[in-house]
Amino acid sequence: MRSLLDFIVRHSYVFLFILLETLSLILLFGFNDRQKEAFMTSANSMSGTVFRWRSGVEQYFGFRKENALLVEENARLRAMLYQLTDSQYASMENSMSADGVIVARVIDNSVRKDDNYITIDKGRRDGVAQGMGVYNPTGVVGVVMVAGKRYSVVMPVLNGNTSISCKIKGTDSFGFLEWEGGDPYLAQIKDIPYHSVISVGDTIVTTGFSSIFPENIPIGTVSDVERMKNGYTLRVEVNLAVDFSDLGWIYIHSNTRDPEIDALYQQIGR
Amino acid sequence: MDRDLFLHRLFSLLLLVALQVLFLNRIALFGYATPLFYIWLIARFDSSMTRSGVLLWAFFLGLLIDLFSGTPGLNAASATLLAMFQPVFLKLFVPLDRYDVIVPGSSTMGGRPFTGYLLLLTVLHHTVYFILRSIPLGDWPVLVLKIVFSAIMTLVFMLVAELVSPNHGPKRS
Repeated sequence: MRSLLDFIVRHSYVFLFILLETLSLILLFGFNDRQKEAFMTSANSMSGTVFRWRSGVEQYFGFRKENALLVEENARLRAMLYQLTDSQYASMENSMSADGVIVARVIDNSVRKDDNYITIDKGRRDGVAQGMGVYNPTGVVGVVMVAGKRYSVVMPVLNGNTSISCKIKGTDSFGFLEWEGGDPYLAQIKDIPYHSVISVGDTIVTTGFSSIFPENIPIGTVSDVERMKNGYTLRVEVNLAVDFSDLGWIYIHSNTRDPEIDALYQQIGR
Repeated sequence: MDRDLFLHRLFSLLLLVALQVLFLNRIALFGYATPLFYIWLIARFDSSMTRSGVLLWAFFLGLLIDLFSGTPGLNAASATLLAMFQPVFLKLFVPLDRYDVIVPGSSTMGGRPFTGYLLLLTVLHHTVYFILRSIPLGDWPVLVLKIVFSAIMTLVFMLVAELVSPNHGPKRS
């Protein structure tokens, strides 16, 4: 008996090892997706704050490029404004406000994983909610997945679970943009009907169906089209407009969904 | 436990966590190689530490990394397993006739044994880490590439760290 006790005391580290390892594995596999989202620490303010410090330092190195992007966007917007007639301009000026748009900074980001996530420095406190669309001057970035109090996590296009309603600019052929992993500059659309007229170089934009995004935000350009094995649909490779390895300021589309559309979707279980 | 030693260790831990989550996690050379340099803390544990001590330090090190990387349990699990083997590996590479406290390093162990010791630690840790991370397993060649490339990067980081700081840290009397 004594020697057994001795043995246990001398080898207590083995029990400690088993305890710690079990704990880790419970954390690793015992979490369901919802709990994992909560753990997605980036949304919790401690790591959010740390990532914001880093981003604050890095910001200084990207100013020049980011400025160029913003000036380009301004030029585009101005060119569009000039095409308006006086009366259109006047009525727009009265009704315009920046209400539907929240501006945020990307403070953490990855492009090399199978499921990438982006952390931004705005949260529920600033009006961000789950399901809002995120874009930047060059195009679509992703959709808000978890909105924390001061920070949020965005599921970018570069995530295996992403599905964004999109169409070919100027037409009504639409499909859903997905990402198969690998190349951070390429995404795919798989369910465009084969009779659609689509060719390399066409621009892909958002549809505005779901009101997650405004209509006609650029997504990318078609780089390859091939017929799927089933024969009925096309597989389209899209060169993404956004350089995900270099994200700075982003816009969040906060126009709330029409509750009636939501209720309808709920009825059909979507 | 010696208070200075404890604080020194805590400081190293925080420094390594910061380095890992702020910079190293974002490196992905060729899409595969991410250095997991934080195991340097475990590699430097000396032979006077109790085995439970080694386990606890490693567990909290891994847990902190997890907290900032959005990977619950992944680094904690692989670091704890590594900590179970670190004292064993250290004995493997140290001459049998030594009974004094050994602080792992090229000056105490000799360059080659120390490199071998680091290599063994790195390969064990990275194998466990990447297997756990890629469950459900499917793409074996990619998994092996990730382990090999990342291990090389980690090893390079550790050897550089060893060169830069040959024998610092409070000396034990």
